[in-house]
Amino acid sequence: MKHYDAIIVGGGHNGLVGAGYLARAGKKVLVLERRPLVGGAAVTEEIFPGFKFSVFSYVVSLLRPEIIRDLELPKHGLQILPLESTVVPLDNGDYLGSWADPDLSRRELARHSARDAEAATLFGRLMHHMAMAVKPILGMLPPDPASLAPSDLKGMLKFAGHFRSLGAEKFHALHKLMTMSSADYLDEWFEFDPLKATKSASGIIGTFLGPRSPGTAYVLLHHYMGEIDGAFRAWGFQKGGTGAISGTIARAAQALGAEIRTDATVEKVIVKGGRASGVALASGEEIGATVVVSCLDPRRTFTQLVDSKEMPADVIEAIRRFKFRGSSGKVNLALSELPDFTCLPGMGPHLRGAVSISPSLDYLERAYDDAKYGEFSKHPYMDIVIPSMIDPGMAPPGKHVMSCFVQYAPYNQAGGWTDANREAFGDAVVDTLSRYAPNLRNAIIGRQVLVPSDIERITGLTEGNIFAGELALHQLFFFRPVPGWANYRTPVKGYWQCGAGTHPGGGIMGASGRLAALEILKDVGR
Amino acid sequence: MSAAPDVVIIGGGVNGLVAAACLGKSGQKVLLLERGPAVGGQNQLGEFSPGFRADPLGHDAGWLPPAVARELGLTGVARVVPDPSVAVPAGPGEWLSLPPDRRRAELEIRRHSVRDAAAWPAFTTLLARLAGVLESLYVLPAPDIDTTSLGELLPLLGVARNLRGLGRKDMIEFLRTVPMSVQEFLDDRFECGPLKAAVGAVGVTHIRQGPRSGGTAFVLLHQLVGSAGGAIRGRGYWQAGPDALARAVAEVAKRHGVTVRTGAEVARITVQDDSVAGVVLESGEEIATRIVLSGADPAQTLLGMVDPVWLDPEFLLAVRNIKFRGNAARVLYALDGLPVFPGLGAPGALAGTLTLSSSLDQIERSADDAKYGRVSERPHVELHLPSVRWPGLAPPGKHVLVAQATSAPYRLRAGPWTAAARDALGSRVTGAIAEVAPGFPGQVRHCEVLTPVEIEERYGLTEGAVTQGEMTLDQILFMRPVAGASRYATPISGLYLCGAGTHPGGGIAGGPGWLAARRVLKDRRERRGASL
Repeated sequence: MKHYDAIIVGGGHNGLVGAGYLARAGKKVLVLERRPLVGGAAVTEEIFPGFKFSVFSYVVSLLRPEIIRDLELPKHGLQILPLESTVVPLDNGDYLGSWADPDLSRRELARHSARDAEAATLFGRLMHHMAMAVKPILGMLPPDPASLAPSDLKGMLKFAGHFRSLGAEKFHALHKLMTMSSADYLDEWFEFDPLKATKSASGIIGTFLGPRSPGTAYVLLHHYMGEIDGAFRAWGFQKGGTGAISGTIARAAQALGAEIRTDATVEKVIVKGGRASGVALASGEEIGATVVVSCLDPRRTFTQLVDSKEMPADVIEAIRRFKFRGSSGKVNLALSELPDFTCLPGMGPHLRGAVSISPSLDYLERAYDDAKYGEFSKHPYMDIVIPSMIDPGMAPPGKHVMSCFVQYAPYNQAGGWTDANREAFGDAVVDTLSRYAPNLRNAIIGRQVLVPSDIERITGLTEGNIFAGELALHQLFFFRPVPGWANYRTPVKGYWQCGAGTHPGGGIMGASGRLAALEILKDVGR
Repeated sequence: MSAAPDVVIIGGGVNGLVAAACLGKSGQKVLLLERGPAVGGQNQLGEFSPGFRADPLGHDAGWLPPAVARELGLTGVARVVPDPSVAVPAGPGEWLSLPPDRRRAELEIRRHSVRDAAAWPAFTTLLARLAGVLESLYVLPAPDIDTTSLGELLPLLGVARNLRGLGRKDMIEFLRTVPMSVQEFLDDRFECGPLKAAVGAVGVTHIRQGPRSGGTAFVLLHQLVGSAGGAIRGRGYWQAGPDALARAVAEVAKRHGVTVRTGAEVARITVQDDSVAGVVLESGEEIATRIVLSGADPAQTLLGMVDPVWLDPEFLLAVRNIKFRGNAARVLYALDGLPVFPGLGAPGALAGTLTLSSSLDQIERSADDAKYGRVSERPHVELHLPSVRWPGLAPPGKHVLVAQATSAPYRLRAGPWTAAARDALGSRVTGAIAEVAPGFPGQVRHCEVLTPVEIEERYGLTEGAVTQGEMTLDQILFMRPVAGASRYATPISGLYLCGAGTHPGGGIAGGPGWLAARRVLKDRRERRGASL
């Protein structure tokens, strides 16, 4: 039987980052991916001939700079193209734009509300400070809050000390962000409803909450936490789609000596005497390893890859209560021509940025109301990009690809996600978009509709949750995924976790993979 | 008044009375000013129809912290825990009633779900322990990030020990539970819809949110503080009447030399050089004093009674941003007889609370309307019958019923509340009651609807919010009433807040008043120390 220092189950970007770090430390590493391509939810696939899509995850912002540096990703092809603007078509035929040039954005906002334009500067500054205050936590190893072990007490002191060092004013501001609804929080700053709606949309992504539910304000920060080339709050595309990011990390890991096998489904982690000793593939093949690292979501990691008898009952129970509740869908469109938005007719810079369908807070809240009671939103929130505008290689000449992130689509759709329901959902998306870009309907050459059950089936993410578990306050930091096991370990010795279901969570960040690898290296020695 | 009082207290609610009694006891010369004809605040009885009296806001007696009872010698004020404490419709002609005793509740639940019945004792035990954590936080000033003095740290360590004493699992459960939605919290444990609705309704008490909103699990725990053994709605009522506690505290206050003046509405608090100089009544009368404690809510006090020039604009903005959001109306019914609820077998049930929503979705839907500034088409209704608790409140054989109806937002998007909107709400509530008590409409002699607007007018509560600010995670502990000013003092020297708008908030009878009085005495000692 072949033996590795570490086997990583699942070739999502976190698994690849983990593999890179372990290989960099001289470990013999094998990544096993069930699908024919690596990347997990960050994959590029040619869905229609000549049309390439970032099938699931479609923008990047939070990829940690230290990972880019440590794994020398630019050398392996990392090239992030900035996504410079966001345009929100309004119901009165006008639009709200936010552009790369801050002066232009301020003037644009002032067109709608002079007061908000003024407030936006202060707001941006506060968010920046808050993001700076939170960022160190993203790189912290979550301690066990109830443990009296010296390392955990030290961790808790560090955690508490960090907050204390912020001072009362920032701490209070942060507390508000953590506990308020994004609608309430933004109401304290702004008056122009479409602005509040668009900003609060970031707070509902990947959760099963509406913008008026407490606990949604915190995610506002994520928008200010991204860094691209050292510039805060930028979102961008990878040339070649998000799959190219995964490819870049994979190549970097391979260059450091890691092996990657695709079409290799891990059936079980082999546990002997309470210790992981390798994996068994669906093919029957067994491979030995000193440590096994699961990049899958917590439910699969704790309850499916290993026999439940290997896990304490209270951990199994806690995992059962960990919330997934996938709430978003993705509609990928192959277009014969660009959408022509009524509010900004023809070609323009807005087509190189994001288009957000978030005309009002009520609009988002109604979208949530549908989902609460088990129906996809009749008029959903959408975040739309046209990658072929920035990277022409994504579509045949003159043609385009359009990516629509759609919320809400509840995992537990009434009547189930039948083909009819899936198509009805796709129709709702196209109908809604056609209100703002009437030519769209006839420009569609191909349409791929992905609902949470599809996301689950293809990527393996439980209930189709794009963050491998809801990013809710009670599922962050030392609660992610389970108190006591937020330090990337599991109750089975030699069995680790490194997916987005661990701190600091979802988005193409890579931090979970990195932190897990660093912990593993601490344990097994360099 | 022969001489200027040391302290003036604005408002004769329980918190104002407790603060007055505590300060009087310590030897201060205290004058309490109440704008209404009697003290008692929210607990007052009012005659709304000839011969019929009710306590419109008396849905829950709240928790009297034992430390307050001890300090003021209130231990004799008796409380009754109704049995069952709450009942909920569980199908046509069927009710699920929950006795405070967990074993008997288990038997009741068993008729609806064996699985849930089995989970109930452990669940209520857990609730009691989690609520116990809040209980220990509620008898101390709110901890804050810049708490540095050893004197303040020590009691905090006590709380921490208490947390630890709960055991590892409970402590984690507390931290995890607080930000959750009450729906998730219950869905994790139960399957019976009416049971979840009866418990979950507690999680949306006095807030403008539905049970799916984050932080509603905290509201559930807050409402259970002081509840008998984690029993749902087990705080009960005061045996000697809804205003029994207020009357008892008023007695103690008088014994300690507090002067109470009713019909004395404070128009403004006068300030000189950033310090309190006195108060001016609506009548024009001026009363000089160096210390004022206001039991009125933070907005009424700081935006209504103080010249804004004395306050920092950022502080004023923070006060303006306090979420009050009164969202419940009260409908008072004078009845010709005791209503009959078919299927509600338990004889004691009418002394408790009847909650009429049988599913969490129903409560959620009633909250949906509030989000769009509408009165619920089908409000979430909870009933109590004061005349069953205290037979003297209605003529013999007659009865009084109070319905609390949510959502009835203070601000309607369509415009101000009109008489027609009020009447429509009244009919919807009557209709909801008729669904479980078909003969009810025929028994109604008189009905009065109090929307949050009337509650604001009658009780002086901003937006009709009985908790003087929603008890949500962003408005509790060190955030109450506003960040950085959670210790009862205001930026104006000598002006303190002592109402439910301060920590530990609404539903903790006398807690804010007691802690505010202690703060005043502490400041006084420090000033004395400094001048020596």
